Amino acid sequence: MSAPGGGATGLLGAKGARLADRENWIRLVMFGCASVSILSILLIFIFIFKESLPAMRNVGVGNLFFSTNYSPQVGKYGMLGFIWGTLFTTFGAMLIGAPLGIGTAVFLDQVAPERIGRVVRRGIELLAGIPSVVIGWFGLILLVPFLRTVTGTAGFGVFAAVLVLVVMALPTITTLSAETLKSLPLELKEASAAMGATRWQTIYKVLLPSAREGLLIAVILGMGRAIGETMAVQMVIGNARAATFSLFGRTSTLTTRIVTDMAEAPPGDHRSALFAMALVLLLLAMFLIIIIRFVSRERQLSR
Amino acid sequence: MKAKRADRIATVVFWALGGITVAILAFIILEVLGRGLITALNPRFLFGKPNAMASGGGIFPMIVSTFYLVALTIMISLPIAIGAAIYMAEYARKSKVNSFIRFCLDSLATLPSIVFGLFGLALFVTAFRWSYCLMAGACTLAILNLPILLRSTEEAIKLVPDTYREASMCLGASRWTTIRQVVIPSALPGIITATILPIGRIVGESAAIIYTVGVFIRNVPTNPFDTAAPLAGYIWARQAEHGVPDWRAIVNGGAALLLIMVFIIYFLARYAGRKYQEKKLLGAGTR
Repeated sequence: MSAPGGGATGLLGAKGARLADRENWIRLVMFGCASVSILSILLIFIFIFKESLPAMRNVGVGNLFFSTNYSPQVGKYGMLGFIWGTLFTTFGAMLIGAPLGIGTAVFLDQVAPERIGRVVRRGIELLAGIPSVVIGWFGLILLVPFLRTVTGTAGFGVFAAVLVLVVMALPTITTLSAETLKSLPLELKEASAAMGATRWQTIYKVLLPSAREGLLIAVILGMGRAIGETMAVQMVIGNARAATFSLFGRTSTLTTRIVTDMAEAPPGDHRSALFAMALVLLLLAMFLIIIIRFVSRERQLSR
Repeated sequence: MKAKRADRIATVVFWALGGITVAILAFIILEVLGRGLITALNPRFLFGKPNAMASGGGIFPMIVSTFYLVALTIMISLPIAIGAAIYMAEYARKSKVNSFIRFCLDSLATLPSIVFGLFGLALFVTAFRWSYCLMAGACTLAILNLPILLRSTEEAIKLVPDTYREASMCLGASRWTTIRQVVIPSALPGIITATILPIGRIVGESAAIIYTVGVFIRNVPTNPFDTAAPLAGYIWARQAEHGVPDWRAIVNGGAALLLIMVFIIYFLARYAGRKYQEKKLLGAGTR
């Protein structure tokens, strides 16, 4: 688009030219503001990568990313166990959080009377605002002792982390799913009801299938929250260095290992290995965004 | 009939799912407030100095740090967000650049806050030699909050009807004059509302600030380049390292206070949002 002052240059001479000049400068400043986001993501990538280089060089890429042997006191920094911990807790949380979140969204969109729906919606917005240290503290003083007495284990561990993550990811999944359901054309519901379908049949056979892509995006963004959650998980997961396949095993995720070790890690290989964990987190997040872009393109094509 | 019965069962299940969500929230609020409210409202706790070793410390410098951090972060990020939102909404509505910027914003929005924390540590604290300080945390949080701040600002700007812009342009106003004299004033209440929710996130943020701002101080910070200790980070450090005999009471009280602060901000945002809506409706009616 040409500058709006451009046409005036010929008519008004010098004054118009000054005006066009000013318009262009302002446009440039605004563009500068907008490009802060590009600059930020670049800087973050560069700095996290630069800081993790020493570990990759000195420890070796294989021993750093593909080993489960993590013993900083003897110079072993394998983070595979923590990558597994992140994936284990995240998928566990989605196993509970996705049905709960989507179910709540359906409840809001289809089942709940308006006043109750409004209360639930406010509640979910409030839940989204509760700081993660508060949820972590709640998990530490209530959830962990509860699991200890019920299961006879330490209480700390993967399952406690999963429950905390469900609470953290629930608002994201519910809000986005509810938005998707709301955006479906009303004719869909009416047509289904007119054919004599019950409410459940409409939900199950018409609404959920047509909202598929949107619901998938909601769950992926919920995963994003779960992968990145730090403080709340660190308070309940037990912070052991070993990888575990047990639901009640104590272990670490990428985020919790960074927080647990950072204070004691002097500048050097150990600290650099923690930055390498942040690099993996960054790549995981970018991966999720690319999947979302892909899914939403599918959605646009299918419409 | 089978279909009828399935429908009835499904209805019960959906009510139960909605109920579980509300129950989780209610349980957390009641437990956290129940354990910490009495401590949180004690003036000696609210306005006292924290102790490094002894019991009976307060959290006044932490509260000040939190407010200071919020103010600095908004001061840095709001102008950038408004500028960027104007660019995206007024200059480049549907361009390649716009879509790439949106990709970067989406990526920033999904990055874990601990990644921001380490980035802030590497850039502001270490490379810039600022050491742990409010400014380092504010710059980090400004980037962290940019996506949501920008999105809601942009929405406020887009809500300004195109007829306003057309009317202004018809009177011979240039694009910038239109934006400055017409678009921004009309969008301003929406922009103000848009800043309230990110404030709640800044108050509750801990992972991004413990390595940029600091976790313990005894005196109220004054200079933006002073080390400080926002409340959320301080609570986390207290429960991790204990340090004082009454750490449990401090964490309980701090958590309750944090919850109250976040709730006040939330209701403020709702209230402001509703006022804004009402005013818009009224405005549309009289015009």
